[in-house]
Amino acid sequence: MRIVAVIPAYNEETRIGAAVRDALAYTQAVVVVDDRSRDRSGQIAKEAGAIVLTHHLNRGQGAALQTATDYALRYLNPDIIVHFDADGQMQGSDIEGLVTPIMRGEADIVLGSRFLGKQAENMPRFRRLVLRASVVFTLALSGLRISDPHNGFRALSREAARDIRITLDRMAHASEILDLIIVASLRFREHPVTIRYTAETLEKSPSTWRAFGIVKDLLKKKFVR
Amino acid sequence: MVFQIALIAFAVFAIVKTRKQYQARKVSKYWFIVFAVFWTLVAIAAITPQTTDIVASYVGVGRGADLLVYIGVVVLFYVVHRLLLKQQQLSDEITELVRQAAIERVSTPSNSPLTGGEAK
Repeated sequence: MRIVAVIPAYNEETRIGAAVRDALAYTQAVVVVDDRSRDRSGQIAKEAGAIVLTHHLNRGQGAALQTATDYALRYLNPDIIVHFDADGQMQGSDIEGLVTPIMRGEADIVLGSRFLGKQAENMPRFRRLVLRASVVFTLALSGLRISDPHNGFRALSREAARDIRITLDRMAHASEILDLIIVASLRFREHPVTIRYTAETLEKSPSTWRAFGIVKDLLKKKFVR
Repeated sequence: MVFQIALIAFAVFAIVKTRKQYQARKVSKYWFIVFAVFWTLVAIAAITPQTTDIVASYVGVGRGADLLVYIGVVVLFYVVHRLLLKQQQLSDEITELVRQAAIERVSTPSNSPLTGGEAK
């Protein structure tokens, strides 16, 4: 089984090296898309052993994920693609658990969840609240009952990765993926993962208020496009 | 009174200008006629505002001037909608361009076992 991790990166030079090495320990290749970082993220990712693609303009996390997926599907012949983060909040050791249901042929896509058994470490209370609200929102909009709609840790079979084409370039892609799971009738499953919040990652990560931007993008897609 | 004169002057200016463009073969005859009819109607409405009231009462609006404002608002909404759509489309195209450039100029670590030769 060929597992390829894809990592979108934006100004992550202090953490991306460790994240790439962590992911590489559990996968056959790591593709990093440097989304026009102003620091040395791309260079450091390459030194850590990743294949690095560079966006010449900042296009957002969703766009970067899709670029990495396009590249992987075209040139790396993966059986499974894993969405991973550059900031070290995710643990490479969780990859095994995520890909197992796909290997066994029991699921097409496995979604990481912060709320199934394993505890998210140091999650701020307001973020927990907004994430809970997103559960209801997702149920209303996509009809998908899921415990953690905005977890970026996922594993997709090659076929699922082909079926799911991300068009929402910025943060709403997580909800878009859930939508496409329903549209493409993919078999999905949730799997507990540990997300480790640290002072540094919380400072870097955009405010929890961005949830409103996500809702805006989603509604725009549903009604305007 | 000033407003009426200004509006009529602008209508005449618009028609003359379009006629020149038509003669210079920059716009089609069809477009010239549509444009001329539209600005003629504007001029008529400016000279005799009560004529718009006839149309207004026909569609169930009290005053002709109100009807024009309503139509204006609807048209503006539509234009904004089209602009947003166009802007979204442009943004998608930029992303695709950036994506293709990124994939073509990939930077691979020298020791990667997976790179090269796998292209389909």
